[in-house]
Amino acid sequence: MNAAREFLLRSVEKSADLTHRQIIRRNMDHYDAAVLRGKTRFADWDAARERCAEIKQEAIENLDKYLVEFESKILARGGHVFWAESSEEARAYIAKLATDRGVKRVVKSKSMVTEEIRLTPALEKVGCEVVETDLGEYIVQLRNEPPYHIVTPAMHLTRTQIADLFREKLEGVTSDDPTHLVAVARRKLRAAFFSAEMGISGANFLVADAGMVAISTNEGNGRLCTTLPKIHVVVTGIEKVVPRLCDLGVLWPVLATAGTGQPVTTYSTLIGGAHTPAEIDGPEEFHVVLVDNGRSELLSDTEQRDTLRCIRCGACLNACPVYKNIGGHTYATTYQGPIGSVLTPHFRGHEFDHLSFASSLCGSCTSVCPVKIDLHHHLLHNRRNSVNSSQRSGGERLAFRVWRWAMSSNTRFERLGRWGRRGLRLTNTIGIDLLKPWTKYRSAPALPKKSFREMWRDGNV
Amino acid sequence: MSNPSRERILGRVGKALEHKSLPFSSERRQIFPPVGDLRERFELECKSNYTETIFTAGPAETKRKLQQVIASLGDGSLFAEDVPHIRQLLEHHGGDVQWSSNGPPLESCMATVTRVEALIAATGSLMVSASCGGRAGSIVAPVHIAIAHESQLLPDIESALEFATDKRLPQTNSFIGVITGCSRTADIEKLLVIGAHGPKRLVVLVEK
Repeated sequence: MNAAREFLLRSVEKSADLTHRQIIRRNMDHYDAAVLRGKTRFADWDAARERCAEIKQEAIENLDKYLVEFESKILARGGHVFWAESSEEARAYIAKLATDRGVKRVVKSKSMVTEEIRLTPALEKVGCEVVETDLGEYIVQLRNEPPYHIVTPAMHLTRTQIADLFREKLEGVTSDDPTHLVAVARRKLRAAFFSAEMGISGANFLVADAGMVAISTNEGNGRLCTTLPKIHVVVTGIEKVVPRLCDLGVLWPVLATAGTGQPVTTYSTLIGGAHTPAEIDGPEEFHVVLVDNGRSELLSDTEQRDTLRCIRCGACLNACPVYKNIGGHTYATTYQGPIGSVLTPHFRGHEFDHLSFASSLCGSCTSVCPVKIDLHHHLLHNRRNSVNSSQRSGGERLAFRVWRWAMSSNTRFERLGRWGRRGLRLTNTIGIDLLKPWTKYRSAPALPKKSFREMWRDGNV
Repeated sequence: MSNPSRERILGRVGKALEHKSLPFSSERRQIFPPVGDLRERFELECKSNYTETIFTAGPAETKRKLQQVIASLGDGSLFAEDVPHIRQLLEHHGGDVQWSSNGPPLESCMATVTRVEALIAATGSLMVSASCGGRAGSIVAPVHIAIAHESQLLPDIESALEFATDKRLPQTNSFIGVITGCSRTADIEKLLVIGAHGPKRLVVLVEK
């Protein structure tokens, strides 16, 4: 079965799952209320979005220059920078590093790029135990599941489900209270932080002029991952670079507000390397893995280049009526929702073209994007690219040829409309439903006796 | 390790950028409302992000208040940044103090006492660096007590980042952190829980 067909089947199942719908609605209600409050802290939210878009666009239009500037500052402090064209190359570098240094345990803070490159299985293969330390990520890891949402990985679970999971996998669970569940996870993960030899984090921004990596976390797990283990590895996409440190003065608040409604993330952290001789703690080794994995090709598409501005805040997922009905896992992609539907065909090929068609093009995503990516038009661009790449079936192409031929002449349009209505009336009388794919979930309107044109001619309009 | 991909990636990026897309520029509009009185704003923001603020008239009061905070904590060792000012504040402290000059805080430590680089009024944040008791000094213990001076108050994050740049913090520190409130999570049903992996309690003593 192909990916598109599986996607449809999962969508049908999920959208009819009322419990799922209820959980997501509750989560989104919390999110919407928080963001509404968060935006009141800005004098002009749209001005903030424009400023962020401008900063990211400047970075992307000068990507080579800023990446090299960032790299030179990291190298000057004694850090390592590895450029990976593909997932395999990034995985191999990190797995080799872990093997060479005799790493047994790895603690990870939340990073979608590590999901994208499938890092965890590669590290497990070389004998490392990999522990996710963001609570949501830890929960889905215990369930052996991918993240449901790029910001809130365990959004699809209730506290009862999480408590049951903890009872099965962890010790000392006495209630379903979230505060208690967090304490149970904290106890367990604390042992991991203090015993791990390697910490892996993502990056929210790479600051070119300061030569520092910016990491935002609320729980503090990102701080511990980059403080306690001997080796810190940052895995990030090349598009994360921003020109100046002071740019974070607007990017940090906007990322937090769009992501969770907070004024700013609790721990907005900058890291430039291993600890200096004068410093009392911190890793001894620092590596940045810059992942390309299709991004430079996306850069060459000037029409869709702006998608590289994405700061992975998750706002477009939360706004999307499709996401809210079919849920994150249905996409079967690393990045879900509108941004995922736009990006995945570029990164993983035409097999994922169907995602761009699974949209009502309502434009909610575009209206909330804090870096003003024209998301819903990119879904249209992807549809066009998909059709042009002849990935469509012969039948569909024939149907559209007939359609174009019929629509390009007045008489043909009118005549075919009349025949069509007659034909449908006839098949309906003898009990054959030609509109089955449509009427399966909806009722079709009654067929009119006359077309609009005929009524117009009769003077009835 | 040789890295031939570097040249290939930069080559592709350079080639892609031969075609510029339309420049995106925005007109300059005021993004944030005025911060107002720094101290008032800082206090207000701290209240909403669960940071306890204690304003004191001078070192003597700071010392007294600090002792009160420490007395309210449970058992466990205290970690403190080894600078003369904090040494003075803790000189009559009865219990054990582990000084930063002897290494980073222990896993079991109950509270940490450190300086800050700056205070940020608009968000009620503390800016710290590796010089403020190391990286662990502000994250490892259940309680973090920060010692600051009112003159360290800056209006917003942007001005704090400019301050960091002017003070050459990125050149002299491998770590800079902007801390806004206690460690928190909302990963279970989007419900806010204070105290995830970092401090459950954040106290800042601000001296006049």
